[in-house]
Amino acid sequence: MAEKMELNDVEVWDGNYAAAQALRQAQVDVVAAYPITPSTPIVENYGAFVANGYVDGEFVMVESEHAAMSGCVGAAAAGGRVATATSSQGFMLMIEVLYQASGMRLPIVLNVVNRAVASPLNVRGDHGDMYAGRDSGWVQLDAFNAQEAYDLNLCAFKIAEDINVRLPAMVHQDGFLTSHTAQNVYPLSDDEAYAFIGDYKPVDEMLDFSKPVTYGAQTEEDWHYEHKAKQHRALMDSYVVIDRVFEEFKAKTGREYKRVESYMMEDAEVAIVALGSTVETAIQAAQELRDNEGLKAGVVAPRCFRPFPFNEIRDVLANVKAVAVLDRSCPMGAMGALFNEISAAMYTTPSRPLITNFIYGLGGRDFSLDDAKHIFREQKGHADVGYITTPIQQFSGLRGPKLGFYETKRSK
Amino acid sequence: MKGVLATDRRGVRELGAEELVGWDEVTQGVVLNSFDIELENVAHIPPEERPYSDFNSYTATVASWRVIKPVYNRDICIDCQNCWVWCPDTSIISRDKQMLGIDYDHCKGCGVCVEVCPTNPKSLLMFAEAEDPEAALAKWPEKKKKEKK
Amino acid sequence: MAITSIKNLKEFSTVNERFEGAHLLCPGCAHSMIVRELMNATDDNLVIATNTGCLEVSTAVYPYTSWDTSWIHIGFENAATAAAGAEAMYKARKRKGTLKDPDAPVKFVAFGGDGSTYDIGFQWLSGAVERGHDFTYICLDNENYANTGGQRSSATPIGAHTTTAQAGRVSYGKKQKKKDMVAIMAAHGAPYVAQLAPNKWKIMAKGFQKALETEGPCFINTVSACTTEWKFDPKDTIHITDLATDTLMFPIYEIIDGHELNILYRPKNVLPVEEYLAAQGRYKHLFKPENKHVIEKIQKDINDFWEYLQRREEARV
Repeated sequence: MAEKMELNDVEVWDGNYAAAQALRQAQVDVVAAYPITPSTPIVENYGAFVANGYVDGEFVMVESEHAAMSGCVGAAAAGGRVATATSSQGFMLMIEVLYQASGMRLPIVLNVVNRAVASPLNVRGDHGDMYAGRDSGWVQLDAFNAQEAYDLNLCAFKIAEDINVRLPAMVHQDGFLTSHTAQNVYPLSDDEAYAFIGDYKPVDEMLDFSKPVTYGAQTEEDWHYEHKAKQHRALMDSYVVIDRVFEEFKAKTGREYKRVESYMMEDAEVAIVALGSTVETAIQAAQELRDNEGLKAGVVAPRCFRPFPFNEIRDVLANVKAVAVLDRSCPMGAMGALFNEISAAMYTTPSRPLITNFIYGLGGRDFSLDDAKHIFREQKGHADVGYITTPIQQFSGLRGPKLGFYETKRSK
Repeated sequence: MKGVLATDRRGVRELGAEELVGWDEVTQGVVLNSFDIELENVAHIPPEERPYSDFNSYTATVASWRVIKPVYNRDICIDCQNCWVWCPDTSIISRDKQMLGIDYDHCKGCGVCVEVCPTNPKSLLMFAEAEDPEAALAKWPEKKKKEKK
Repeated sequence: MAITSIKNLKEFSTVNERFEGAHLLCPGCAHSMIVRELMNATDDNLVIATNTGCLEVSTAVYPYTSWDTSWIHIGFENAATAAAGAEAMYKARKRKGTLKDPDAPVKFVAFGGDGSTYDIGFQWLSGAVERGHDFTYICLDNENYANTGGQRSSATPIGAHTTTAQAGRVSYGKKQKKKDMVAIMAAHGAPYVAQLAPNKWKIMAKGFQKALETEGPCFINTVSACTTEWKFDPKDTIHITDLATDTLMFPIYEIIDGHELNILYRPKNVLPVEEYLAAQGRYKHLFKPENKHVIEKIQKDINDFWEYLQRREEARV
């Protein structure tokens, strides 16, 4: 019987440790994992919990990240709670299995500690790995700080295992910026945390021998389409369960999460859309600009990256004049992925604000308050004249000649 | 063969001829259930008593694959079970150590059973697909004489 | 473990089949013979994982399954890990008391072709065996990537024609020797490894039972004669397998705990390898005069390996 841990009301945890604690409290049945910077401490801390009697489940240290997700899929199909963690190259290595896991509708929780993708090789935080998995069919939530890394893990299990979802879920957090930054975290007790998630309820489990089940069938052109559409629909509709779980979490802890977080947007004239720890930088910058320059700035963060909150984005950006969408991943040959998705949503609205794209922070390049303020001011410049005065895509914080792509064709 | 191939779902469906349902009716996670209802241990239940689901290939037929088929001669057979163990298509039906015959819904006409049959003449021989088994039995060859070296 | 009786074939034939017909394997395919033997060797519940390949692609095409036990296919490489994950889940749930029927015996089995076992899934198999999961891995070795039309794998023997190591005007086919997976698995510390053949049904069934009963990771390489890619008539599968075992191209042996090697079949008359090669289209180019040296090499390798097996059996190392 696993030992319980007595936790303080306030703990000082970094994002990795917070995630590891959440996994411990969730009483995961099988963790199949492989180490990779900067997610390694999640796995190491979990290993420490195992070695000291705090975990009842199995901890399988496999020989690669692909094997980690493969082991998770085999374990999940056998009918229990499964989780793991990875980053960057490990994420890329397990990508084929991510698609297999979601296609088989297996709830698995994957902590992705976001890190740049080679080449060149880089261990620091950016969103290259998060973006690479955006079509993989997983629910994807983004934590901006250590508290959220803890909270969203608990929510992720509940969302993924819901009978109306039954899809795997990722919890993202910025590599090093969140994962290795110790902050105040208010945890639930072991009993409370587990009670919030609840017992795992198996569906189509391989270990129920009275109902033998086949997983991983092939489909030809006469069946594939319907299966993928069904899966897409499940992910699109999962927002209902996500909202409900967030509400239940708020009732329990007082901490409220939304699929789209918005800050100072009620009267905002300009906005930044971002993910990860950048959100908190942008919030501070917006506050200072309001206080010091009277600039009505706001911040929007699609915390639920998948399913993409199409409606909520349209609502929150409806009255804004100019928006800068920040992508912490280099799109290579196109506009940033977040910019594209935000723009597509806003294109269907009457207001169609001016939207520009900033690539920033690659490979752990710092994104400062000044960087954020500069972007806000630029948006004000666009808003004042009624059209985009800069290239549509720019690179923030890049050394060398200014790099930008495409001019707007919309005049005032 | 009575009572062994008794379920009325046998041989009904050609592969590829099943009803094409919409996205709302396909199974979740592409999961397939082998049986319609729960059972204790399938290894203890003979096939003719199992509640096969329509997803089980048992309920489909590959008879159209054949151009030749094996015909079984009960009079010559010694129940050695060679054909049973080596049939790749679970098409040699044996119960209580006795050969009952060929499951023509699942037999692909590969001919392995004929090759491994040890009797002289063989208890299984290949005939044209259209051949009537009774007529085939009437044509059964005589015992082969051992060749003198 | 509930083993079925394999005293003789009549006894064995009383089992209730759990591998159903109307699958899509080629007529005469040995994969099916081997799978049937495995599933008929025990009455225990089975959780079976399979790599992408002929077996997987022919037995689970929506909306049909030919498996009467729980079965999972994830991808090309990872059946061993799927089985390992399921086995870990079984251990966890047993410990926590959340299994529906905790006393029901279950065995974890993974199937893979030679392509997935020797090549693309090698790491996954190695990891699962190294970690000591309680499962049995069976390689259905037809010495090529049959499912995709007959490309070479590291299990393809020297001199064989495959579509990516072709026999042609300036080439006699595959130049490299076949990898010895049995030795590699024994070197991992697997408690039981063997090479078995379906023509010797009793030895195979016994070997399967031994592997299923042995706690820990067991590996069995099985010779699966492939009518389509080895190029022989479908009816001759067992005949070709007889030639394989009687020429000692495929010696049948087991290694217990890495040091007790037992030869399980000694042909009354060992046949020259030409008889085996001549019976298959994939080797017919070897009978050209310029390729005679390849046949000689093949025969020498067979003789050397047989000598090695006998010496090791005698020395008990």
